[in-house]
Order: sequence, then C-alpha cells, then structure tokens
Amino acid sequence: MDVLLQAIVNGILLGGFYALMGMGQNIIFGVMKIVNFCHGEMLMVGMYLTYMLYTYAGIDPYLALPLVAIIMFLLGAVIQHTLITPSLKTKSFTNLLFLTVGLGLLLSNGALVLFGSDYKSIRTSYSQTNIMLGPVSVALPKLISFLVLIVVTIALFTFLKYSTTGKQIRAVSQNPVGAEVCGINVRRIYLLTYGLGVALAGIAGCLLTQFYSIYPTAGASFGFRALIVVVVGGLGSIPGAFFAGILLGLLEQMSALFISPSYSDMIVFITFIVILVVRQLLIMRRK
Amino acid sequence: MDVKKAVSGYRRNLTIVVGALLAVFLVLPLIVKTPYIINIFILVFYISTMSMAWNILGGMTGQNSLGLAAYMGIGAYTVCLIVTKLNWNPWVVSILAMLVTGLIAGVIFFPCFILKGPYFTLVSIAFAESMRQFIINSEFFGRASGVGLPFGEDSFLQFRFASKVPYYYAGLIMMVAVYAIMKRIDNTKIGFALKTIREDEDAAAAIGINPTKYKVIAVVISAVIAGFVGFFYASYIRYVDPDLMVQAKSTEFVLPAVVGGAAYVEGPLVGGLIMIPLSEFLRANFARVLPGINMIMYAVVLLVVIRFRPSGILGWYMDSNFKKFIDEKILKKPSLDVLEEYQMMNYESRKGGK
Amino acid sequence: MSEKPVIEVVGLTKRFKGLTAVNDVSFSVRKGGITGMIGPNGAGKSTTFNMICGYYPPTEGKIYYNGEDITNKRAYEYTNMKIARTFQIMKPLKNLTVLDNVIASCYFGHAAAKSREEATERAIEVLKFTGLYEKRHVLSKEMGTPDQKRLEMARALATKPEVLFLDENMAGLNPTETAEAIELIRKINESGVTILLIEHIMQAVVSLCEKVIVLHHGEKIAEGTPEEVMNDPYVMEVYLGTKSEDKKEGE
Repeated sequence: MDVLLQAIVNGILLGGFYALMGMGQNIIFGVMKIVNFCHGEMLMVGMYLTYMLYTYAGIDPYLALPLVAIIMFLLGAVIQHTLITPSLKTKSFTNLLFLTVGLGLLLSNGALVLFGSDYKSIRTSYSQTNIMLGPVSVALPKLISFLVLIVVTIALFTFLKYSTTGKQIRAVSQNPVGAEVCGINVRRIYLLTYGLGVALAGIAGCLLTQFYSIYPTAGASFGFRALIVVVVGGLGSIPGAFFAGILLGLLEQMSALFISPSYSDMIVFITFIVILVVRQLLIMRRK
Repeated sequence: MDVKKAVSGYRRNLTIVVGALLAVFLVLPLIVKTPYIINIFILVFYISTMSMAWNILGGMTGQNSLGLAAYMGIGAYTVCLIVTKLNWNPWVVSILAMLVTGLIAGVIFFPCFILKGPYFTLVSIAFAESMRQFIINSEFFGRASGVGLPFGEDSFLQFRFASKVPYYYAGLIMMVAVYAIMKRIDNTKIGFALKTIREDEDAAAAIGINPTKYKVIAVVISAVIAGFVGFFYASYIRYVDPDLMVQAKSTEFVLPAVVGGAAYVEGPLVGGLIMIPLSEFLRANFARVLPGINMIMYAVVLLVVIRFRPSGILGWYMDSNFKKFIDEKILKKPSLDVLEEYQMMNYESRKGGK
Repeated sequence: MSEKPVIEVVGLTKRFKGLTAVNDVSFSVRKGGITGMIGPNGAGKSTTFNMICGYYPPTEGKIYYNGEDITNKRAYEYTNMKIARTFQIMKPLKNLTVLDNVIASCYFGHAAAKSREEATERAIEVLKFTGLYEKRHVLSKEMGTPDQKRLEMARALATKPEVLFLDENMAGLNPTETAEAIELIRKINESGVTILLIEHIMQAVVSLCEKVIVLHHGEKIAEGTPEEVMNDPYVMEVYLGTKSEDKKEGE
C-alpha cells in the first residue's frame, strides 16, 4: 500500500513537469498551429543556464528561476522574430516542422560542444532533504517544484483569461486574420507566445536541475511528453494541460510499478497513439 | 521534323551529362582507394536512398513522417535474425525484410492514416519509439546489444565482403534503382494522386482520389525501401542495434531531402551528395575537439535553407539564371511547347499505328 | 415531367450539435438543365451541397442519382459515377502547373486516362475549352482569382462528368469576368452536362437557370423559374429584409 501511495505521489510530482512543458507547447501550438519540436531542447537550455548561474555566479537555483525565465523568454522572442515569423509566411508546414527540428539539433549539439557529453548536476544544501507526508517521503526540491507549478498554472490561467494581452493571445489563436483586422499586432503576439512557451520550458528545466542530471539530450523525453499533454489536455486549455500532465506522470509510474519499469516508455507511447486515433475517430463521427 | 530534331538533340545531351555523372561514380573506386572515402560514398548512397524513401511520403504526399529509421531497423533486424537463427540466404531474406516492413507499415499503421498534419508526425515518432523500446526489452532481439551477422569469406551469395568496394557498387545500384522508381512514380497516376493529396485532401477526393488508399500506398512504398536499405546496412555493417532506430537517425534521413528540395525527386540526391561528405569531413577533422560539430553544421545549413530558400537548393536552382544558362547553352533544351508537341506527336503516331 | 430527374433529394436534414443547418430540403434536378440554388449567407446552401457531394453525411434524408440511392457514397466515389464538383473556396493544386492540375484530374473518375499521353491530350482539350490553354505552364498559385475559378471548373470537367456541381463560381469576379464565366457555364451545359449551381449573383442565376431553389435558414422557401421565384413575396421579404423579417430575427 505504501509502495502504491509512494508511486502515486511520485507520479503526480513527475507529472507536474510534463504539465509545465505541455502548457508551453500548448500555447505555441494553439496560437501558431506549429509543433515546437525543440521544446525539450529548450528545457535542456534552461537546465544549463541554471547550472551556469549556480556554478559561476553562485546563485541558488530557486533564486535563478526568474532570471532563467526572462533569459529564455528573450531567447524565444529572438528565435521567433528571426526565424519562425518569416517562415510562417511560406505556409509550408514541412518547413516549419524542420525549422524547429533544426533548432533542436543546433541547441543539443551546441550544448555538446560547449559542455561535453558528461552528466552534470547541482547539489545544494537542501537537495537531499526529504519530507515525510504521512507514510510517503518526498524530496524537498520536488515538493517546491510542484508548488511552483501550481503558482505558474494559476498565473498563466489568469493572465490568458483576464489580461488584455492574454485576451489578444486567445483572439489570435482563434483567428489570426480576424485578430489583425481588430487592430491586434499579430507579430507581437507571436513573439510573446513563443517567448512565453520557451520561458515555461526554461522554468521546468530550472526546477529539474536539483534531482535530474544535466546533459545535452536531457530534454528529449520531456519534449515528446509535452506533445502528448497538448493532445490529451486539449488545445488551448491550461487546466487541461495541467491534468493531462499529472495523468501522464501517474500512468508512467503505475505502469512501472505494475508491469515493468523498462516498458513504461512503450506503454506511454502506445497509449498516446490509441488516444490520437480514437480522438480523430470521434471527431469524424461528429461530422 | 524540326521538333523531332530539337527534342532528340536535347535528349542526347541529357544522356551524355547523366552518363558522364554515372561514369564518374563507376570509376571512382578504381582511382580512389582509401576505404575512408569509399565509406563516405556508401553513406551518401544509402542515406540518400532513405531520404528518397522519406520524400515519397513527406515531399510528395505531404505526410511528414519522423520515424523512418524504425523501418530501416526492422529490415536490418529481420535480416540479421533470420540469417543467424535459420541460416537462410540473405538475398532471400531481403525480400522477406521488405515484406515485413511493408506489412507493418500498411497493416499495423493503418488506423493512423486518418490523422492529419502534425498528428501524423507525432504518431510516426511514437510508433517508431515504441518499436525501439520493444526491441530493447526483448531477449529475442538481443536487447540493447543488438544482433550480428556471421563473418566469413567473401561471398556474393552471402552478400559479404571484406573490401568496401563491392558495397560501394551495390549501394550505387540501389540508389540509382530507387531513383528510377521514384522518377517513374512521379510521372504516373500514383504520383499525381500523391501530389494532389499533398496540396489538398478535399480537392483530391473531389476528383475521385481515395486519400487513405493512396496514403497507404505511399507509406508502404516508403517502408519497403527503408526495409531494403536496412538489409543493405546490416550486410555492410554486419550488425544492428536499437541505436539505429533512434529519432535522431530518422531526422538525419530527412535532412538531405529538405535541404535539397523536398518537392523534387532529385532533391534527396542533391542534398545527400552535398551534405553527407561535408558532415563526414567535419566529423573526421573536428569531432575530437568539438563533438557534434557536424550536426551543428547540418542544423545551420537546414535553418539557412528554410529561412532563405524555402524550396531547397534545387528549388533555388530551378529559378536561377544558372539553370537557364545550362538549359539553353549546354543541354539545348527546347521550349516546353516543343516538348509537348513532340510528346503528342509520338502519341498520335502510336495511336495511328494500332 | 415524364422524364426521371438525375438528382433527387428527399427530406435532407443536417444538424450540427443541436444547430439545424439544413432542415427537410427536397428538390430535383432535371437532366440536361441548369438548376440554381440561392439564398442569403448562412442559408445552408453549401452544407446542402456538401451533403449531396458526399462530404458530410446527412443526419436524415436521401439522395438519389438516376434513381439509385447514393446517400452513403463517399466523396471520392462521385467522379466514378460521373458527378464532379468545384469548391467555393478554390482549391487549386498550388505548387503544380495548370497543366499538371488538370492532368491529375484526367487520371481519375469513370474515364480515367490509361497513360500519361492520353491524360495530357485530354487535359489540353479541357484547357482549350475553358480558355486556360495559354497559361498551362504557369504555377496555379500564381494566377488571379478569375483564372483559378476557371481552373476549378477545368479540373472538374477533366473527369468527364455528366453532372456538375458549381459552388459559387462567380463570387469575387467583376462584371466582365462574370459574363465570361456565364458564357463558359452555358457552353459546358450545351455540351450535355447537367449543372447544379450555387450563386449569389442574381444576373447569373436569371440568365442561366431554368429552375431556382431558394433556401433560407436551412429550409426551402421557394422553387420555380427565376421569374416566379423573384416575384415570390416571401423571397422578396427575405432578400429585401422587410419589417416582418426584422421582427422574426428579434424574437
């Protein structure tokens, strides 16, 4: 029983990261209808950023969080401005897809050149601290991460729902032409959206550093799971992404516990395929 | 008669250019004896072939698969497993490998054809990744360490050579053959169906194309070629492991097509011929100091091409004055009207002959 | 009317999640004629069209073609039955030349070409017929709206249909281009093709159609010759928006 409870808690905590990644991917996909195939690499960049700030400037990972978010936002905005916005005009889905794939290659191999392939990690004074929640023990950084996730989710939800910019973002995701006609600067919204999405991946990367090794391909599995979260959680839905992420984390931990840890990846992927196909069938039925 | 003369002159010039190009490739191993260089060309041959296999699905049909390496892996595994366990002849098994990959692509993947756009891409990744995970966890497939082919004396029957040169020629034949098949498909009913689907599925249905049927055809052709390349790869490397099926490999197979120009049958060849030697050169000379430098080059070229020449190197060439110069001065290509007239004249005379 | 209609629609209804887009519409199309379908925006014309062409399955109702029930046929089976359609939002194969656009059509349908040469020959024939021959080597995305509309028709004609559905083929054309389009449609009809068209431009409907069906709020409100329909008080009310109509909307 305790094992099961422990697995559930671990699943929820792990799922929090998927949720965070999924939200970033969700607004990018929702607004520009492009899949950001370098989302995982953005997480990795966030990790290395945190690592550098910690090692060279001695900044605690949690204090670095806002800084990482801002830097990642700027990185995203620059990429959007120089590469993605000009390519959006060609309306070639293939090109946009391989644009983000190419960015991913550039980032992960850039990290390889700069930092080498060896695993790096951050060990703070509290990273080994465990807290007992009833019979379940939880690492303190994981708990803090989850709290950050909840704050970010609520903030993002409120921002999109009530702020003027948030409303503009939602308007552009509904209909870019219509939004432009209403006087919304669509290019600016694209810039904000991609920056925001990348910043969210950076936040996830920053939070991960305390209990996850840092290496050039560290983001890959998170990147793909972010896509699963988008599909399952529903386009444009922040609460959807939140719950889908946690569900995914639970599914992974449960299949590791009940079937085999080595098959848990495969189960996640196959579940994803089934969900996609069934979802499409339902859409077709409705038509 | 003028028409005939102009067209046959153009055809002769074209044959000479293509023939000269082929001749260069044919005599190359006789002049360059370094195994390192030969190896690079073998890479060019099989990666370009994989890229063509991707291109029929991605470039021609507009279905961006990112899981082609998995089919190549399945082909390679089929060959390695059956040859080592049952001791069958590898050539026979190569046919089996194509059947297996074709079946997996066509039957198991079948329900996924209803998915469109990015969802198709996602499923292709998930599908490839779950197959790789399955192999890593299976004792039968040798888990993470893979399966090897037996070594031994040189034998054509076993498709086993110590020297790289026979693989060079086999690879060249494979690439040219697949190119010929692609060129043929491009010009027939299937090609037009696939291109129509790429442009608009509803428009395709409106003229009587069953989109699902033709997408299945494209995926199966693509997978069958990948399966055969898997056979070639396994025979050449004499070994296969799950690392062949990672997503990075699938991406690597797509790059030549996108850089070369995915809308053109020749795109993967042009991209492969330029990118792969460059990549290998960088890997050989800088990888010790700067690991991953070849992939960075790949990525930068890819980004630059997409940003500034969205239709690839060939698309750029097609609109350039350079092509005009080559067409007019070297190939003496007649105008499209003349070519069309010639084609129709032939058709009329054949119809009349019947 | 002793002759059997080519297309007969009986009680066609389409509901999207509670919204009734088309409600119990019945009409028939006479062989060899030009039938028009008009109505204000959102009247359900395109939905009706898409149901008849197999793009949406109707919620209720039947569609008969030469007496045969084709309600459940899929969109891609239509050209085999000698029915072709165009789209309101043009769908040219953007990255192919005009010639290749039409060649693609020649390969499919009931009279599918057996060889590239046959396809090319027939494509050229169709291009000459529709007046696009001179532009055959142009990429279709580089053409203007009038030519793209022509190309839509050319692609449909290349499948050698006996029945042709035209979905707002003149929207966005200026008066000269409209006159040319009317001429082309008449020419197509004279070659023996039955036509059902949706149109906003009354001038076109009046000069082409022998029979007009008027849809409003998803229901058929009138049917008859153009003159009859235009003198129908309810139709005038709908189009001119009199007071009683305003009241209805306000309720």
